[in-house]
Amino acid sequence: MGRYLFLRLVDAIPTIWLVLTLVFIAMRILPGDPAIAALGDTALPEQLAQFRAKMGLDVPLWHQYLNFLYGVVTFNLGTSYMNGASVLDLIGRNLPYTIELTAVAMIMGVGAGVPIGVMAATNRDKLPDNGVRAFSLFGHAVPDFYLGALLLIIFALNLRWFPINGAGNGFADRMYHVFLPALTLAMVKAAFIGRLTRASLLEVLGKDYVRTARAKGAREPRVIYCHGLRNALLPLSTGMGLSLLATFSGSVAIELVFNRPGIGRLLIQAINERDYGVIQGGVIVFAIVVVLINLMMDLLYIVIDPRIRVK
Amino acid sequence: MSLKRREFLELAAATAAMSMVGLRAARAQSADVIRVGIAATGPRTSDPNQTTQGGDNWATEQMYEQLVRPEDGTFATTPDQYVPTLATEWTTSPDAKTWTFKLRQGVQFHKGYGEMTSDDVVFSFKRAIKEGTNTTILSNIADVVAKGPYEVDIQLKTPDVNLLGTSIFCNNTSIVSKKAFDKIGAEKFATDAVGTGPYELTRFDNQWGVAMKRHEGYWDTKNKAKIASAECVYIADTTARTLALLSGDVDMIEAVRAPGWVDSMLQRDSTLKFDMTAPGSFNTLHVNLNRKPFDNLKVRQAIMYAVDRHAVADALKPMGGFTAGLQPDFFPAGFKTEDLPPELQYNYDPDKAKALLAEAGFPNGFDFDSNCSQREDYSSIMLIVQEQLRAVGMRMNLHIGDHTAYHADNHMDKNTLALHSSSYPPIPTQLYFQQLSTKSEVKADGKGGINYSHYGVAMPGIDGLLDKALQSTDFKSYVDYCKQIELQVLRDLPLIGMSTLSFTVARNARVNLGYDVKSGYARWRFHRATKTA
Repeated sequence: MGRYLFLRLVDAIPTIWLVLTLVFIAMRILPGDPAIAALGDTALPEQLAQFRAKMGLDVPLWHQYLNFLYGVVTFNLGTSYMNGASVLDLIGRNLPYTIELTAVAMIMGVGAGVPIGVMAATNRDKLPDNGVRAFSLFGHAVPDFYLGALLLIIFALNLRWFPINGAGNGFADRMYHVFLPALTLAMVKAAFIGRLTRASLLEVLGKDYVRTARAKGAREPRVIYCHGLRNALLPLSTGMGLSLLATFSGSVAIELVFNRPGIGRLLIQAINERDYGVIQGGVIVFAIVVVLINLMMDLLYIVIDPRIRVK
Repeated sequence: MSLKRREFLELAAATAAMSMVGLRAARAQSADVIRVGIAATGPRTSDPNQTTQGGDNWATEQMYEQLVRPEDGTFATTPDQYVPTLATEWTTSPDAKTWTFKLRQGVQFHKGYGEMTSDDVVFSFKRAIKEGTNTTILSNIADVVAKGPYEVDIQLKTPDVNLLGTSIFCNNTSIVSKKAFDKIGAEKFATDAVGTGPYELTRFDNQWGVAMKRHEGYWDTKNKAKIASAECVYIADTTARTLALLSGDVDMIEAVRAPGWVDSMLQRDSTLKFDMTAPGSFNTLHVNLNRKPFDNLKVRQAIMYAVDRHAVADALKPMGGFTAGLQPDFFPAGFKTEDLPPELQYNYDPDKAKALLAEAGFPNGFDFDSNCSQREDYSSIMLIVQEQLRAVGMRMNLHIGDHTAYHADNHMDKNTLALHSSSYPPIPTQLYFQQLSTKSEVKADGKGGINYSHYGVAMPGIDGLLDKALQSTDFKSYVDYCKQIELQVLRDLPLIGMSTLSFTVARNARVNLGYDVKSGYARWRFHRATKTA
């Protein structure tokens, strides 16, 4: 298993390198000057030149690229053009907020999605099933930033149950702050996972071994949860993996709407300001997260279905 | 005591609910804190000698002071309108090249860093001149010399009758503690600078904002801050910022400077107050003299008659303002329309614009391309200009794009009619130098300045008059030369004053600033503010 993990991580290096190279090129192609973004559009030529020299933007592109790659392998991603803070430090301070939001949203999304999926499957074509399908359609159709703004207006502005912005301090305050943004992401996830659970469970419930279990007199909850849901988990786990990725990337819009700190907000700000170091650092985080989640899903398959063996 | 699972869950739920109630209560607005929502993602620095982001000045305004200041809520339009602050009096040599300031005694720095002396003033100025973010304007200062613990000489390379406005009342020359800098080091000073202002820094969080508390040892005992704490919370997203104000999370927010914004806010909450500076930013339209047919004076005059500049200002109301030339009429070099010669008044007249175009050889008008930023103020103005020019036959294909890219393209001379928004104090030479002088001519390689029209190079400009203004040793001569520049620019039309746009703050009615905001930079002090719970 250890060897398998090591090889998978080594396999990921070219992918990450490719992503970083593409981002490096894209940022340089994108019109806009980091020096003007940092110093303002009335900055004078000598101030701009001084800034470019200080930030290493006055050397040829290939040189900048090599400096960047060297920085990545030595864990030195440079400093932000805007405030001089270390990029690693900025990422280190923002990443926990995004992880927190993603984790809470996933717990809420899966926690609600699986039961409603089971409810729909076990009440096929009845009212609960139709309700779940309608909710699922809504979840797929509504953009999360719109839903976020809607929840913000209802629950934070009008009812005043939740804070409008920020991330809070201390565990209880942080959970209080994260609830509404997480709920926004979770509603979309619950819709997706609910539909997936329904489809997966319906397929499994039609199998011979389920019929056999019922014939042997097993009680219905045992049939559903032990024989049905357990075997439906494999396709469901793929969906959850995809959902986790979507939640992590979906945090970008939600962090903006709820004015929460996090990698998404950091990245958007950096793109607007052409803060190359922070953009590159943020993209590395996203690339690594994608690789790790994929790896995690592969390992989960092995745990769920022992028939899949590591070769 | 044994606890069953159900009891445990009920207890946990009740505890969580109680903690939420407690948090809500703690979050409820207190009269002891004034909180402003800043339109940016996070603070960059609290060091006033190094600020690059306008929003950061809201915090530095509370924590630091200069040698002199105008009255709160105003700009000093003449040198005699400045009031003593960290300096008690000042004198100027006859050649306006040496300024001597006597410092106030007993001014205490925050956090126990002791009394402010001339060492701190010299240190702050030299640091701003050498490595600050406003080095160009301060480059006229030859030296800053301490003449004892409470007296400082500022020696200039060339005369400056406006030194109080150009260099003394300047965020970058706010006085910081040398002792604190030496003790805590340059890096930490960026987030923990020590000043003399009515509030002192307690928290700098580049994700959230800046928190301050009242400076109990403030020198001006009459104007000691009335509200115990002040917070600058960074909320870049417009919707989030608006909701934060409406919900009471913040007391005031930086406005969205777009047509209709104030009205839409009043519809949501009619009790809101709006503070606006006049003039705010200057929206100037550069006409690229190197692009045909804009090298033709008649075409430029046609633009002036085709665009109803009053309508542009009205469209931005109540934030928009009209300028007959480049400066607003209450600034030293400003004109009222009726005070201008008739041929330079350019009252809206589309028929005259068409006639001028015909005389210039374009009876059927012409097509041209122009770039514009997507930012609300830029795009609103240029869309109005586009419609008005179209009416006389000047068909502008407007390419609206990313704000950062727009400015980068302008800096590489890629535009035809380039709108530019800048903020200037009542020191007219700053605008003339930056946007009209030969030295600031834009270059295709991006190494030039923001004279996007190539004025002074494509045709004779105002360099001579500007030099005379800058060499003046008395304020009246200075103003006279600046007025001559205004008239020449109106004759040549390389740059059009399209409108001004007030810096605006929407404020909860529970907060009373203690003064009216009429003019000034895009930041106001909180030390006189009071708040009802």
